[in-house]
Amino acid sequence: MKRAHEGEVNSEHTTKARRLSNPDRLSRLSEELLVRILSFIPVPALLVCQRVNKKLSRLSFDSELWKAAYYRTFVLPRASRIPGIKDAAIPNRLHYSSRLSKWLEDGYLVKDGTQTNWKHQYRLRHNWTRGQCAVSEIVVAERPPDPPLLVMMSNSIVYAADSISGLRAWSSKTDRELLASTPVFGDADTPRLPISMAIDASEKDDGAERVVIGFEDGSFSIYALRRDFKRFDTLFTHPPSTNGMLSALAYSSPYLLTMTEDHLLSLYAFAKPSTTFGPLDPPKLLYSLRSHTAWPPVSLSLRTTATSMTAAIAYSLPTYLSGWTVGMQELRLSHKGELLESRLATAADEHSFTLSSYLSASSSSACSLSPIPGNARETSVPSGPSRSKPTSMSYSHPYLLVAHPDNTLSLYLVRSTSTALSISSGNRLWGHTSSISGAHVGMRGKAVSVSRLGDELRVWDLEGGMTSSANRKRSRNGELSVRVQPSKTGDENIEDDDTGRQAGLRFALDQRFDDSSVSRGWVGFDEKNVIVLREKSEGSQALVVYDFT
Amino acid sequence: MAATTTTSDASLIAITTSDGILMHVERPVAERSILIKNLLEDLGGEAPAEAIPIPNVNEAVMKKVVEWCGHHRNDPAASQDDDSDSRKKSTDIDEWDQKFMQVDQEMLFEIILAANYLDIKALLDVGCKTVANMIKGKSPDEIRKTFNIQNDFTPEEEEQIRRENEWAEDR
Repeated sequence: MKRAHEGEVNSEHTTKARRLSNPDRLSRLSEELLVRILSFIPVPALLVCQRVNKKLSRLSFDSELWKAAYYRTFVLPRASRIPGIKDAAIPNRLHYSSRLSKWLEDGYLVKDGTQTNWKHQYRLRHNWTRGQCAVSEIVVAERPPDPPLLVMMSNSIVYAADSISGLRAWSSKTDRELLASTPVFGDADTPRLPISMAIDASEKDDGAERVVIGFEDGSFSIYALRRDFKRFDTLFTHPPSTNGMLSALAYSSPYLLTMTEDHLLSLYAFAKPSTTFGPLDPPKLLYSLRSHTAWPPVSLSLRTTATSMTAAIAYSLPTYLSGWTVGMQELRLSHKGELLESRLATAADEHSFTLSSYLSASSSSACSLSPIPGNARETSVPSGPSRSKPTSMSYSHPYLLVAHPDNTLSLYLVRSTSTALSISSGNRLWGHTSSISGAHVGMRGKAVSVSRLGDELRVWDLEGGMTSSANRKRSRNGELSVRVQPSKTGDENIEDDDTGRQAGLRFALDQRFDDSSVSRGWVGFDEKNVIVLREKSEGSQALVVYDFT
Repeated sequence: MAATTTTSDASLIAITTSDGILMHVERPVAERSILIKNLLEDLGGEAPAEAIPIPNVNEAVMKKVVEWCGHHRNDPAASQDDDSDSRKKSTDIDEWDQKFMQVDQEMLFEIILAANYLDIKALLDVGCKTVANMIKGKSPDEIRKTFNIQNDFTPEEEEQIRRENEWAEDR
């Protein structure tokens, strides 16, 4: 108060009044200035500000603040990791500006404008990078289904299909409610065994998700999930075919890509139906091809552009000398179904490497050479892909992720330009401490993988591939992936280490959740959740939802 | 001094502060203020015949502002793109500016308001960063004490927000 008295002597009446009330000068600033101040505050302090008083609380929710924080934390570091982007952009333009920023694949968030809750998005990404999530379960089957059930996830909806319960859909949001279900009988009410499933990848505004299921008898059916009516509408059923069961599907409306057990690839196009949810007319077969080299597991992909579509099939490929590698066939077709181009590629093999390209491609591992006499070639590339037969394959352009039974994953980058198709030499990803049964790569080069015991779920950030020196360094330090740590209490199995995991003894002692193992290693994710299919020891199956929101 | 001294030295700009004090400032220094710079440009580069009135800034604050502008007279002109975050991270304030900002809170906020009114972006940012640094690393209670902010939350409301933001805490 001493200061205030000194001041009073010289000040005018207004100042005096303000001083006597011991002013809160910060809150008196205009909101514009306050937001400017808050823009210099890092996220943890920003969250503290939300607790100071109501005005600051409201302002520190300001969407532009969180948009900038999101950009600084998640977009900018990525942009600097992706080779080429820095050179393409004017160097000093690589910073946040609401008009000029490069948002990479997060552009859709910006497009949504005021719809986007930037704080929410920040939190989501934050939890992904920390591996923080909540875990919950959906029990899908009391008995082991035969064949095991198929699961997929898209837009926070989990789809599951098996011959007994048919096609079912759950919301992966907090309530995990059953949205709809439908039997998958054929025309004559005969049960059919679902073998493969795909979700429509094309963007639509009608609010309905389309799912296609391929069956053992070679037939397939397309369903539309009508959330408002809580039911599936059958849009189309293709009669059984003598070509055998459909082992893989890709769907990007109106195009459907199927692959049979004996590698007959077919591309269909559906005519636009008269009504949005009306039944579809039988599709036109645009193209078909028999592959003699593809081995399971395979991964199909369908990408469409304004003028053409690209159908790709990634498959594993035995080699004569050195075990397994991956190959890819890419077909480019016009929308009328004319084949514009067909090309093949196999992963670049280090055997054909010159010394210099080998050094540049995998110099990070040069230090860990462990020469074994008589077999120098095989062991000379420890960072190269595993030679064992892949257990699972996931292709989301440009990433091709392959899981091996030897605790490692291989990452290949597919380069598809107008002139050439190539697959980079694979890079091995370490991190898992038991064998990997499933891996899935998706948006932004983010991948999830799960170990066969189901005790270890890892989230990978594969952005920029292994060519970027930053990632090579991170790979060396084991920082490419984050092990997921669920926050649900009393569910420590995920954080359990491997000690005391003698299965037999454990089984005898109790029947806890963590005795489960992942039966088929199915794993998938979308923006907010990771879903793992686990088979419990009694044979019942459950979907485990890791919720990062 | 009379209001018509401008002819004696063309490089000096005359301004009058809110408390009616006449000040003379070298033109390149005064032009750190985009407000004054634009005003002078509107006059066609000629020195104004009369002192420029600055009704929102008193003499004491104006002296500080002029001191800052004098020190930074040779800085590159501020980017026109307001959004561009070439503004460095919050803690980075250069040493001279840090010393300059060692003033009481009243002066600090007066400088921010003046910089905002006179449109001196770099000074405004220094001011905002200084305030930001006073906020960082404090608990909500300490922030309230620092700025004498009234807490208008009930304990329950505050606890609720704390819980909603738990995700960001380090574990």
